[in-house]
Amino acid sequence: MANWLKPFKKIWESAKGQRTETTPFPEIFEQFQTLLQDHQRVMELIADLGEKSGGEYIFDRKYLVDITSDMHSLLLHLVNSLNLIAGKRYLDLYGTLDRVFLPLEAELRGRLSLSEEMPVAVPLSALPLDHPELTGGKANALGRIIQSLKLPVPPGFVITTRANRRFLETNHLEERIHAWLESWAAGEQDEEQTARQIQYSILAGLVPREVLSEIRQRAAQEGVSWAVRSSAYGEDGELTFAGLHETKLNVPPQKVPSAYKEVLASLYSPGALSYRKKMGLVGEEAAMAVLCQKTIDSRAAGVIHTLDLNDPGANTLVIYASLGWGRTVVGGEAADRYVVEKDPPHRVKSIVVTTKEKMVRPKAGGGEEEARVPPELRKQPTLELEAVDTLVKWALSLERYFKRPQEIEWAQAQDGSLWLLQSRFMNIPRIELPREQDIYEVTSRYPVLIQDRGTVAHAGVGAGPVYQVYSDASLNRFPEGGVLVIRYTAPWLTPIVPQAAAIVAERGSAAGHLATIAREFRVPTLVGVEGACDLLKDGTVVTVDTKQRLIYEGRVKELLHYELVQAPAFEEAPEFRQLRRVLKRIAPLNLIDPQAPEFTPQGCQSVHDIIRFIHEKAVEELMDLPRFMKRFKGIKVWSLTSDIPIGLKILDLGGGIDVGAQGTKVLPEQVTSLPLKALWGGVAAPGVWSTEPVAVDFKGMMSSLTKTWTETPGSTAYAGFNLAVISDIYMNLHLRLGYHLNLIDARMHPEAQHNHIYFRFVGGVTDMTRRSRRAHLLAQILSKYQFKVDVKGDLVVARVLHLPPEEMAERLEVLGELIGFTRQLDIQLKTDEDIPQFLDSFFQQHSPADKSPSL
Amino acid sequence: MSTEKLKILVLDDEPIVCKRLQPALEKLGFEVDTFTQSLEALHQIQETNYDIIITDLKMKGVDGMRFLQEAKSKNPATEVIVITGFATLETAKESFQKGVFDFIAKPFKLSEIQEVVTKVAAKIRGAKV
Repeated sequence: MANWLKPFKKIWESAKGQRTETTPFPEIFEQFQTLLQDHQRVMELIADLGEKSGGEYIFDRKYLVDITSDMHSLLLHLVNSLNLIAGKRYLDLYGTLDRVFLPLEAELRGRLSLSEEMPVAVPLSALPLDHPELTGGKANALGRIIQSLKLPVPPGFVITTRANRRFLETNHLEERIHAWLESWAAGEQDEEQTARQIQYSILAGLVPREVLSEIRQRAAQEGVSWAVRSSAYGEDGELTFAGLHETKLNVPPQKVPSAYKEVLASLYSPGALSYRKKMGLVGEEAAMAVLCQKTIDSRAAGVIHTLDLNDPGANTLVIYASLGWGRTVVGGEAADRYVVEKDPPHRVKSIVVTTKEKMVRPKAGGGEEEARVPPELRKQPTLELEAVDTLVKWALSLERYFKRPQEIEWAQAQDGSLWLLQSRFMNIPRIELPREQDIYEVTSRYPVLIQDRGTVAHAGVGAGPVYQVYSDASLNRFPEGGVLVIRYTAPWLTPIVPQAAAIVAERGSAAGHLATIAREFRVPTLVGVEGACDLLKDGTVVTVDTKQRLIYEGRVKELLHYELVQAPAFEEAPEFRQLRRVLKRIAPLNLIDPQAPEFTPQGCQSVHDIIRFIHEKAVEELMDLPRFMKRFKGIKVWSLTSDIPIGLKILDLGGGIDVGAQGTKVLPEQVTSLPLKALWGGVAAPGVWSTEPVAVDFKGMMSSLTKTWTETPGSTAYAGFNLAVISDIYMNLHLRLGYHLNLIDARMHPEAQHNHIYFRFVGGVTDMTRRSRRAHLLAQILSKYQFKVDVKGDLVVARVLHLPPEEMAERLEVLGELIGFTRQLDIQLKTDEDIPQFLDSFFQQHSPADKSPSL
Repeated sequence: MSTEKLKILVLDDEPIVCKRLQPALEKLGFEVDTFTQSLEALHQIQETNYDIIITDLKMKGVDGMRFLQEAKSKNPATEVIVITGFATLETAKESFQKGVFDFIAKPFKLSEIQEVVTKVAAKIRGAKV
């Protein structure tokens, strides 16, 4: 626990020591309300942080520090409240707070990078993307290509800068290298001499034992040879050390450690030293990560430039290709040249095939050799057009993602499969660029379709043809580089986000799921753009500038160019990287299933997990009504009187029941709680409850409704009653119907950003297969209503955020209908083939077309 | 809109603020110079007349309050917009007393500052006519 918090904990413990079970109900009640408010506040802070990562806001480090400290106090408050409500049964949570917040606060002070806890080697597929200082620029870019863009990169691992540090420590090299560099900088020694001394001492050094065993373990793979390359911090970013550092190809596993040392030593080659001097980096600490990737035995390889240096004004890219390992391309020798238009349909403008005499290929036992190209291949084009097409799509998505013109190395294996070897910012000589134009002048010549509407979910500029998506059926037809235009930002759209040049939605929140995904893929996104679907017609080419909240008709190529060649993308700024690192410790929700064994204070990994746990447990306390009523005699619990046989008890926190209501019974029309009213509208809708497909007899059914369920296997602690805890705008409802447990937590505030619905559904009498079939059916229905749905076995968890109250009401009504619809569904769902039929029947019976715009 | 471009100076010791504001304002048709060192900015305003100055308050060396005072005394027609992460009622009051056009607390949206700048530009152009 942070020191400043300790006194609070003491006060809390001494104060609470005297009154455990005797805390009076009004106080518990008040605590519960405070807890709900604090919970809501933390949820909003998390959403706020998420929004800040979209680039629309200008913030500084102080903001991150302030918001984290606000969150810490709120969480302490929440833990206190829960312990008060639950009679101090969750004191463990104080330890959890420390566990989550101490590293978070250290992160903000910048103390975590390269600390002892950082690994010496990591696989490319699990690279920590927001720590480029650990893995270097080249590896970081590859990690992003694998993890975010999901493009094929030869697998491998990175020996981190932390390992480099360990190497220097073990061999006592740090100070010696420093001294050599100083005397060189002072002119006492020449470059060659300095380089030789440093490189010799590195090559003579011992690889530290823990680093060596990591390398051996990861490299020891049957039949694999490795490409070992430098990935220095700063390399391939704003600085390009291209070609200055060593690359070892076709290295057998047992030689990887020595290749590692050679690459480390290349950080101090004469060429690298003079580059450092030129860039004013001599004083800076040099840190080298080393990238080891499986060697691709390539039939062809080459380079792509997403900006044609021969014709920078043209909207084209260039693919260079040659046979073998493609060394000849990088070396600047003869290669085929394909010029392709960047606009769809990506017409090939020209192909120049050169005569290829020689190629480089792997040598048996390691290394490479030069060979003669067979005569029949010398004048053949290196690539089929299909491969060209794939490379063009990859290149464009890389440029869209990294927001700068890219130089991309690729290879084609003997079996024809294509691979990306690396992607870095193109080094564009200033002189090559067309004269800088007045961006305002130029853009003001283009017609504007939409202006000053909506909220920025991710800042940027993208252009392409409009493509409106209404159903998953049209997902597959979404064109690479299209502009996605939608009514709602539903999670089922996720798969096409990486293909989109920009996203425009009429509804949705910058804190929602799709916005998060858009940020991950850096797709410029505007949400809440009234009328977008009418104004942006399918097929029209538009340019979306979310930074100015402007949508132009046509491709504003000057603007796209301006964005590409400007300063690096904001996503790479240290503030944004820090924000993303902080977010990783705050926002992810790992605790989905409250029945799971890890649903404990120890299982909480993020701030979101902690508040989820607290909320769940606090509600659980209240739901244990019999115990609760014993504890607090005289609390007012309403019973809902209605034709629908749900024995619902209601606990009103304020404003949820008409003030005129008398006694303990209340009619549906006396419910003033907005969420409960909306839900009940669905439950009581004609046809919902009377379609009785139930095989269980009515008496049994009725008894099941009022039965105490504690004896049922897998039942939760809050069994026994159907209970709603409500206020004017809030509802937490537990409903046990037949064998199903429904939980709904909802808020309907006039302002959309305070709203949410959380729905959980679990249980059933049939076997697990049928129950999970039903879970999938529910998931399909709910995702049509833009819920983000997680399914685990027979558990369904669905969430929707930040819609205006009337749209929240529509969804609650649908949930009400679903509750009726699914009562005994698992008995009827006999095979997977039954699912579509039930889907249809649900939408036909229970849902007017205007409610499901995304169908 | 008048054909002559209005000149804006941005001063903030956090480079990210300058990096983000420059293109956002250029796209609105302004000429933008940015500084992260208040001393350099101070030299610059001796040589160039800026129509609009956007400055942070809390900075090393010459702080924003002094800088804006200097700027105002050099050219009273310069409109100043203050951006700060340490917004208090006091500082806001003090800035307005010194003739600041508007006061924006960090973090802020790009669109917020674009709006304020557009407003102040309209005021300047109105005064010039």
